[in-house]
Amino acid sequence: MPVKDICRDLTASAMPPVRVRLTCALVDRPGTLLRTLEQIALAGGNIISIVHSRESITSGYVPVSINVEFPDAQSLERARRGIESVGVPVIGAESLEKSLRTVIVLGSGELGDLIEAVEGLGLKIVDASVRGGGSELTARLTLEVPEGAAGHDLMRRLEEVAADRGYLLLSEV
Amino acid sequence: MSGVSLRALVNGYGFLGRRVARALASGKVPGVKLVAVARSTGYIHRPGGLTLEELEGDIASLEGFVEGSPISLLEDGKVDLLIELTPTNLPTGEPALTHIKTALSRGIDVVTANKAPIALAYRELTELSRSTGALLLFEGTVGGGIPLVSLRRFCLRGDEVLSIRGILNGTTNYILSRMHFEGLTFELALREAQNLGIAERDPTLDIEGYDTALKLLILANSVMGLNRRLEDVRITGISRVTADAVSLAKEAGLAVKLIGSVSPDGHLTVAPRLVKLNDPICVHGTLNAVTFRLRTAGDLTLIGEGAGEPTVTSILNDVWEVVSVRARLTGARGT
Repeated sequence: MPVKDICRDLTASAMPPVRVRLTCALVDRPGTLLRTLEQIALAGGNIISIVHSRESITSGYVPVSINVEFPDAQSLERARRGIESVGVPVIGAESLEKSLRTVIVLGSGELGDLIEAVEGLGLKIVDASVRGGGSELTARLTLEVPEGAAGHDLMRRLEEVAADRGYLLLSEV
Repeated sequence: MSGVSLRALVNGYGFLGRRVARALASGKVPGVKLVAVARSTGYIHRPGGLTLEELEGDIASLEGFVEGSPISLLEDGKVDLLIELTPTNLPTGEPALTHIKTALSRGIDVVTANKAPIALAYRELTELSRSTGALLLFEGTVGGGIPLVSLRRFCLRGDEVLSIRGILNGTTNYILSRMHFEGLTFELALREAQNLGIAERDPTLDIEGYDTALKLLILANSVMGLNRRLEDVRITGISRVTADAVSLAKEAGLAVKLIGSVSPDGHLTVAPRLVKLNDPICVHGTLNAVTFRLRTAGDLTLIGEGAGEPTVTSILNDVWEVVSVRARLTGARGT
């Protein structure tokens, strides 16, 4: 999804304050980062951390990830426009908020195998409850899932992984 | 209604057909004369109109009952309105699909509660309807008495439906509700539903999610303007849902429901999902519930009985709409 749309998505759904990771492609020239940060500050953003990936430099551009807390979603959109107005492309925007989602998994298999599959996707299991005996497994898992499009993608991938292993996965609407 | 007299054929004389035919014969919709009724073995045609008394018993025993299909009534222009209420037939949608095409191609208006033709051939039928000017109304195909298609058509014209989700099948909702509240197994709840006449003797269409998928397709194509086919719907039924799963969900403040959904990016899915107990679509028993997510108005949820007698309300309202449109057009031509 284009960054513009991700920002619009966050603008429509996120509750204040909005915590995001903005990834910008900076020209490797002194002063570019400062101009970018100024735009974030002008929009009211509070910078939490900056990761400057100098080892990932490509065609003279350095990807920089900036974790920011904005007072509301409109400030995020103002910052995105501001950063782009000083000639710095915003190439990624990802919510740092996480929510808890419940899934129930049914099928014949080992619990360990299921947990491995879930964690293999980068999802954190914060609670689990299991019923049934023998080879038939029914497990309720509470997962920590990122908000927004990234979370949707992960849940979709989890459904695919579950289906591949013959599980029936019940997820929240 | 002003100077219109539409000759109606009720095709299909089961639960809905009998009730609709009686309503029309008793003059519930002014401007419509019930001139023919057909069942699977044949039809009765009375150009002067059928009476309530004639509809009391078996129509096959009436004088003038003709064995065979009533399609000649459409071909010979003996009726102005086809009310198609034959049972849903997968995968072909026949014979209803042929009846509807025959009617529309001859400019005969159609009201139907048969899901299959609308779900399987929506684009073809609406194009045919547009080309001949015949009306095609199908509120009775989805959500029983809940006005969904007409709601979109008449009340939400200035808005955009971004996504849809809901419980569209009363049988599976009854089964899952009994599992939720009484701790029954799937098999026991199904048997109970069959004993009560809520589930068919062959419940495959309902429990494997096909009935929900057909209704979802109709909503996606008519309410959201998509162009999807049955093979585009990812369908998972409820037959694998265990009592343990329902009980684990309940402990977490959730209920297992068979949900049909159209996502904002146009994906159609039917699957058992977990629904928060305080979600407005979390209804129980044989109830249906549908949420339209609208760009401007936000979420709009409608709840009601999704089958049986309430469907008659939807069918009769569509018949009223046909009369209104024809009266308007006649009036316009007259001025």
